[in-house]
Amino acid sequence: MSAAKGRFAAWKSTSLIVTIFVMIFLYMPIVILVAQSFNESRFGGKWAGFSLKWYEALFNDRGVIEATLNTLYIALTATAVSTVLGTLAAWVLNLYKTRLQKFNYGITYAPLVMPDILMGISLLLFFVSLKVELGLFTVICAHITFCVSFVTFVVLARLQDFDFNLIHAARDLGANWRVIIIKILLPVLGPGIAAGAMMAFTLSMDDFVVTFFVGGPGSTTLPVKVYSMMKHGTPAIINALSVVFMALTFSVALIAQIITRKRV
Amino acid sequence: MNPADTTAKPSSLTHAPSPIGRGKFCEVSLTLPSLLWLLFFFAVPAAMVFAIAFKTADSSGGIGSSWTLETIVEVFNFNYARIMWRTVWVSFAVTAICLLLAVPVGYWISRQDKKYKNWLLLLVVIPLWTNFLIRIFAWRLLLHPDGIIRTALVSIGIIPEDVFLLNNMTAVIIVSVYTHLSFAILPIYAASERFDFSLLEAARDLGAGRFRAFCLIYLPGIKRGIITAFLIVFIPALGSYAIPDLVGGIDCELLGNKIAFRAMANRNLPEAAAISVVLACMIAIPFIAFVFGGGRKRADGGARAETEAISRQ
Amino acid sequence: MKKIAAYLCAFAALVCLSACGPSKPTLRLYTWSDYLDLDLVKEFEQKFDCKVVIDCFDSNEMMYAKIKAGGSGYDIIQPTTYMVKIMAEQNMLQPMNLDNIPNAKYIDKSYIDRFAYDKTLKLSIPYMIGYACIAYNKKQLGQIPDTWGVYDTDKYGKRLTLLNDMRETIGAALKYKGYSLNTRSDKELAEAKEVLLRWKKNVSRLENEAYKGGIASGEFYLVQGYKGDLFQVLDENKDLDFMLPREGMSLSCDDWVIPVGAPNKELAEKFINFMLEPANNAKNMVFTMYTAPMEEAMKYLPDDLKNSNKIRLPKEIMEKSEMIEDLGDDNAKYIKIWDEIKAD
Repeated sequence: MSAAKGRFAAWKSTSLIVTIFVMIFLYMPIVILVAQSFNESRFGGKWAGFSLKWYEALFNDRGVIEATLNTLYIALTATAVSTVLGTLAAWVLNLYKTRLQKFNYGITYAPLVMPDILMGISLLLFFVSLKVELGLFTVICAHITFCVSFVTFVVLARLQDFDFNLIHAARDLGANWRVIIIKILLPVLGPGIAAGAMMAFTLSMDDFVVTFFVGGPGSTTLPVKVYSMMKHGTPAIINALSVVFMALTFSVALIAQIITRKRV
Repeated sequence: MNPADTTAKPSSLTHAPSPIGRGKFCEVSLTLPSLLWLLFFFAVPAAMVFAIAFKTADSSGGIGSSWTLETIVEVFNFNYARIMWRTVWVSFAVTAICLLLAVPVGYWISRQDKKYKNWLLLLVVIPLWTNFLIRIFAWRLLLHPDGIIRTALVSIGIIPEDVFLLNNMTAVIIVSVYTHLSFAILPIYAASERFDFSLLEAARDLGAGRFRAFCLIYLPGIKRGIITAFLIVFIPALGSYAIPDLVGGIDCELLGNKIAFRAMANRNLPEAAAISVVLACMIAIPFIAFVFGGGRKRADGGARAETEAISRQ
Repeated sequence: MKKIAAYLCAFAALVCLSACGPSKPTLRLYTWSDYLDLDLVKEFEQKFDCKVVIDCFDSNEMMYAKIKAGGSGYDIIQPTTYMVKIMAEQNMLQPMNLDNIPNAKYIDKSYIDRFAYDKTLKLSIPYMIGYACIAYNKKQLGQIPDTWGVYDTDKYGKRLTLLNDMRETIGAALKYKGYSLNTRSDKELAEAKEVLLRWKKNVSRLENEAYKGGIASGEFYLVQGYKGDLFQVLDENKDLDFMLPREGMSLSCDDWVIPVGAPNKELAEKFINFMLEPANNAKNMVFTMYTAPMEEAMKYLPDDLKNSNKIRLPKEIMEKSEMIEDLGDDNAKYIKIWDEIKAD
């Protein structure tokens, strides 16, 4: 083995260098953002002193607060619905191998490869043709649509490792469906479903293009708000907003990590 | 629900759909919720886009009532060809750079001790937890004409005074690579994980040089990962909208921007639909090649490996 | 796992409750950004015990697309006059009850006669007039000539921007050549296109809003922008100055309108009336740095602005400038040129 180490040392050192470079590349913007959010100066050119004023301004900005509430509301609703739909879909895709499932697989896979702009424009045209009012409802429907596929495949991956003999054994021992679901399926699939839900939540919170196309009055989400703030120049508040946003997503994801770790 | 009264045909224990669920009815009723949702909110709108591309535009910005081939013909005129080409080459460049960076990183992480692997993967994924637009905003700060990077590069003399890093294609490529890199690293890592490194040992024993071993053994070995990574970057890149809009210059309009412009500013929905159809075709080509080249098994394997890697986070 | 689910549900319930909000009536506005004095908005909320929510758009076309696609739910919109015409023809606007808006009487008759879309003021009431001019960093660029030709040379480096608005930018090129910016002539438009293809080499970006932040942060040294936005920035930064091209500029006026289907029509009328009060209109002028067509309001301006060039439109400008008009089907000609400029 130590001979092997020597042989591939060149590989290891070049790939290490590239990895370090990539890590710096990935984290540079984040570091800048956090640093600038405490910068007194309005335009972030030079360091003008430590200040919390942008955080203050942030919490006083009604537009931002409304956008945050909208984003959370949309994300929670979309996550709930898409997790249920996605888990069901994963279940049938794993269990049955009929032609219906082949079709189901195709339809469920397709949204994964569609760029958001195509999804946005198709939903916009769809809602326009049906004369449905653009707003919270249309945004939630759109979010559910792109989340379902992701949840399905995450849960499916877990399901493929699931041993169905457990269910057979339970049936043999006389358990009914309620017991099977509560005592076997949910605990074992729980982490997978939770992972799928997490994915859906993150996707919904992060979405910009689709929301931009199908949004309407009162449905401004954080990303859409950030976009308009980027355009009409209140740059400093966005730094503070970014840090808060990052902290939020970070803690939610960390909690999910802890939950899934514990279970396994 | 007595296990004894199933109408199941005998089946192996490892694959036993029959005792579970009463056949067709159960299957269909469990499939319907998500299938109907996707049909209604995904398939139907997609079909609509196709249909609307063949309609006339209403002068007030709605969809006209008559059918025409004019819009499709419009889309194939010279101006669009340039934008289509631009979209393709930029997406290609972004994908190539992502792959070039992802392969060494995926390799290195897969060669670390087990206890470090998860933390390293976490490090790769964390930047994705920040909001997409905020990451673009951070790059606008970094690439600002008076920002750190440019002033440093100019003072060292690497770039001349009149070259800017923002509001041009360079910015679009850098920011696009940044946005997609983590997505490229994950499938390559997953494939590298499954790679049997003793094959490399064997190759070296047989006298193959380092570079040969790399190209002829390792790369083909992680082919699935590379293909997944390629698709996962190339296809969304083709549909880029926000990045060229926010950090690009005049010459950086891509198909995604055109679609948005037609839909919002020009009030010409049929033309927006027509361009969307073109974009969808552009995407379909690599995707169909992938599906028929590898078969569904690979699609399954690739997606599964990748989702496993992600869901293990 | 169950506990977490329970907490999540409770949290979701809280969020839903808070999203429902208090039972105060909510007035929804759809307008340009930084276009209303927020102190006045707060005053209105307190006076009439309601909530005011403002959504912003950065182009008339986008606002139109959203509203046409069924985005009702707004009580007040502030489109530009040419868009008001389009919306009125599409029956998207409803007449206002002027008995609830007595302050409309203060709008200048001369403006109404010359520019207003609806001379009876029932469908639209003028709010602010503006024009698109140039701001530049005089510390970096020194003195510049007062012409659109500044885009025609690379003397000023590459940190220039033009508006990402097809009518404004093609209009600037047309004015530079001495033509009308509402022309329908193919020959004139072709010449404008040649001009713009030359200007393109010197321009960094086409930008509709971020020019404000850009010129303040030094990202750009010369921008084409709307005068109110530019003056707001000029106030804060003494290195910047503005330039009015001698060939003339585009004028525009944004109007108050109430769309069909507005949920709170009467409250909306009260809001418009409140804003049209001369003293309040003056406050809005100071905040936005645009000009209201209301002589009465000028009396309430602070002394340094009362006779300043920044608020009162100079006569020479008025004479050489034109209002952007909707060109119906000829819009397609402009779209084609815009496409070619972007594709090159």
